[in-house]
Order: sequence, then structure tokens, then C-alpha cells
Amino acid sequence: MSDASIEFKGSSFTLSVLHLRTSILADIRNDLIKKVAQAPDFFYLVPVVVSIEKLVGAIEYQALKTLIEEFNFTFVGFTGDVEAEQRKLIRELGFSFVNTTKVSTAKKTAIEQENVTKIATSAEDHLYTDKVHRGQVRSGQQLYAKDQNLVVIGSVSAGAEVIADGNIHVYGSLRGRAIAGAKGHHKAQIYCQTLEAELVSINGNYWLSESMQQHWGSPAFIHLTDSELTSSKLI
Amino acid sequence: MARIIVVTSGKGGVGKTTSSAAIGIGLALKGHKVVLIDFDIGLRNLDLIMGCERRVVYDFVNVINGEATLNQALIKDKRVSSLSILPASQTRDKDALTKENVGKVLEELAKTFDYIICDSPAGIEAGAMMALYYADEAIVTTNPEVSSVRDSDRIVGMLASRSRRAELGLEPIKEHLLLTRYSPKRVEEGEMLSVEDVVDILSIPLLGVIPESQAVLKASNAGEPVILDIESDAGKAYQDVIDRLLGETVEFRFLVTEKKGIFTRMFGG
Repeated sequence: MSDASIEFKGSSFTLSVLHLRTSILADIRNDLIKKVAQAPDFFYLVPVVVSIEKLVGAIEYQALKTLIEEFNFTFVGFTGDVEAEQRKLIRELGFSFVNTTKVSTAKKTAIEQENVTKIATSAEDHLYTDKVHRGQVRSGQQLYAKDQNLVVIGSVSAGAEVIADGNIHVYGSLRGRAIAGAKGHHKAQIYCQTLEAELVSINGNYWLSESMQQHWGSPAFIHLTDSELTSSKLI
Repeated sequence: MARIIVVTSGKGGVGKTTSSAAIGIGLALKGHKVVLIDFDIGLRNLDLIMGCERRVVYDFVNVINGEATLNQALIKDKRVSSLSILPASQTRDKDALTKENVGKVLEELAKTFDYIICDSPAGIEAGAMMALYYADEAIVTTNPEVSSVRDSDRIVGMLASRSRRAELGLEPIKEHLLLTRYSPKRVEEGEMLSVEDVVDILSIPLLGVIPESQAVLKASNAGEPVILDIESDAGKAYQDVIDRLLGETVEFRFLVTEKKGIFTRMFGG
């Protein structure tokens, strides 16, 4: 079941990290005054992650957060190469702990990858990359763009077959067979500069040449509307 | 370094052997050392078209099997001394040919000749594949007729994928389109595919257009390659092909029906 109104995706952002070398609030405040004065507009509302890696002893987490926000930063959370214990404590206190890249790049990338593949295989939206073929596709040849769209820069001869799990674009004449949405993607489309195909198919619904007479010999694109193939003028 | 040119088509009977013979002699007449090899094992024709069928002692398969040397098998043309022919076997099987042993023979020939012209058999099976495997250039012979064009397209696909150059990722085979048996009158009447139609479908550079000519049958039966018939349309067209192969830019002739003047029509011609 897909959530129609929201989507969670892994993503990377460059966040400013404020590295603290002391836990003495007064010192931190003084340094911050000087820093922010240099370019107040630049720092205004900037999301900041506070690194408490170099701090020893007890840390006043709430006080730190309040101090940061005093200077109009947007406090995101704490970070640093610290023990699991400390991370747990920070979370229990109600603050976010942002994992550093050093510790968990692999894990983070794995999560991002997972999210990306999950999106790619979910029903409605397909984000395929393009497989580009330069040159004619000759009679008897077969091209299959697995999990990709297919772009042919050249013509597809009669007796040739071009197949894609995504869309098919032919910058030339389409005289052979074009089979798009081969794995069941019913929103796949077929585009060509001259429609003279033997057969076109989108997700199993196919047309022979006799059904293409409306736009035969012209630039056309073919798509499915309610499981019925439709051809439209391209330009 | 010898240039290996394969004359191929896919479809049978379109003019490969006729063209191989004409081009072979044409290049030799220009002073180049040329060898013509008949790759159609079992259905040899090149020796007939060249008029040397009575002088065949040893053939290609004999050389491959080590039963004869190249020198023993090669037949020197009586008209042009720089042209030699390596005939095919009529009794043996094409299974005798392998990539390795064919390669060895070509390597040997490359030492003495400037051009090696391989007359391919029809089809896309082993014989045709063997003929095109080592090619540097290909002359794709096509009739302006739907099945010939379709088959030529198939063979062009194979030149691009099954040749040695393709397998090793070298510079691809230089392709030429040779349109044979062209009849401008029938094109104008809409019965025959035009040059533009064929070039549009095949998309390879046009080398020449040889008009349909009665001179071709005459030449075959006489064993005299048609390019030697300098009066005929076909002979002249092949001459243009030679010039283009050698790098000259030559305007295409015989593409439109000649408008006969009133005197020619009255008094014949």
C-alpha cells in the first residue's frame, strides 16, 4: 500500500557543524558573538548541528541548545564520534542525535540506496535512466533496455526489435518492432520521428501497422489511455 | 598492407560475382596487384565469370588443407598480369574453412597483393560469415527490390557485429552500397525503388549504381568481365565505381532515362 500524500526519502544535505572545544557556556557565548558579528545575515536561521565530541565531563545539553538558538541558529541536534551510551542519553533527554559521516557513511548510503530502489519499484512512478544507442538498429538485431528507457539515435529497420522496460524514443524512422513497458509499466510511451512500425506494444497491448494509419509516416508518439493504445501527433 | 574488400549482399543473384570480377579487373588495370578469392565453396562461379575455368588445377580448400601451395593454386589472369584468382572448390565442403586457416591464407596473400577481393556466397551462414570476417571494407550489393534491401540490411548488421574488427573493437568496416540492376524507367513509373529510397533505408554511403544491362549476360557467358565492355552502360558504371573506390569524386550516371532526340528515335538507337 503506498502513502499517497507523503514520501520518506534518504537524502544528503551539507549541514554546518559547530564544533565545541569547551563546555563553558560563557566562553562559547563570547566566541559566538564575535563570529556572528562578522556576517549576521549569513548565519541567520542557518541549521546547525552541535558537535560535542571534544567535550569531557558533564554537558548541559539544554543550555547549549538555548544558547545556540539565542543567536538565531536553527538547532538541529547534537553530533560527534561518541559512545553509544552518550548518544542514548542525548536522545532520552529529547534531543536529536545526528550521526557523523565518519561513523556511518556505509550505513547511511545503504539506507539511501534502499530508499531509492524502493521508490523505483513502487507501482506508479518509474524513474528509469536512459540507455542510449547511437546508430541504426539493423534487421535481425534486438536491443533490450533492462530497467531503463531506450533512446535510439538512428533508425530502426524493418525486421529489428527494440525493447525497453521504460519508454522508447527513436530519433529516426521506426520501421521494426517497438515494445515498451516490457515488465508491466503501463505508463511507458513510444516516440519516433517517422511512424512506419511493424508492431508497437506497451505493457502487452499491441498494434500492428494497420492500426497506426492515423499518424503513419509522421512524427508520432504512442501511449496507453485506459488500456487502449492511442497515437498522437508529435510535432 | 593489403586492403581486404568483401563483396557481399545477403540475397542471392544480385550481382556479387559479376561485381567482384568487374572491380577486380578494373583495379588491376589501374596498376594495382589484385587477387580475387571465391568463397562460394561447392557452387563456384568466379572462375566462369573470369573465363579461367579450364585452368583450375588446385583451389582454396587444397591450399587450406596443405595439399597445394598458394602459388600452385593462384591463376594469373591472361588479360591483366597483376590480377590473380583463387578459385573455390567445387567438390569439397565449406566446413574445411575455419577462421584460423582462412586468416593464414589472407596473411600470406597480403604480402604480395594490394587488394584482396573476397567474393562472398549468398546467405548469412558460415560461408558468408567467413568471407566477411577479415574485411576492411565491404561492398554491399543490392537490387532496388524489397527483399534484396531487407537482406542487405541484415548483412550490414552482421558486418557491424560479427566481423573481426567488431570483435576486437577496431575501426569498423568501411561500408559501400552498390546498387545493381537499376532501371530508371521503372523507377520513374513507380514500379521500382529509387536510389533515394534504398539509401534512406540502408543508410550507408553510395558507391555506385549499375544499370540493368544486357551486356552483363553477354559478359558472363563469354567469360569476359563486363567492365571490359567499354561501350556498355554497365561497363561504364563499373568504371565509375573503380574511380570512386580509389578516392575520386565522380558524378552518378545512368540514374535518369535518356531523352532520345528525334533523329535517334526515327533512325533507331
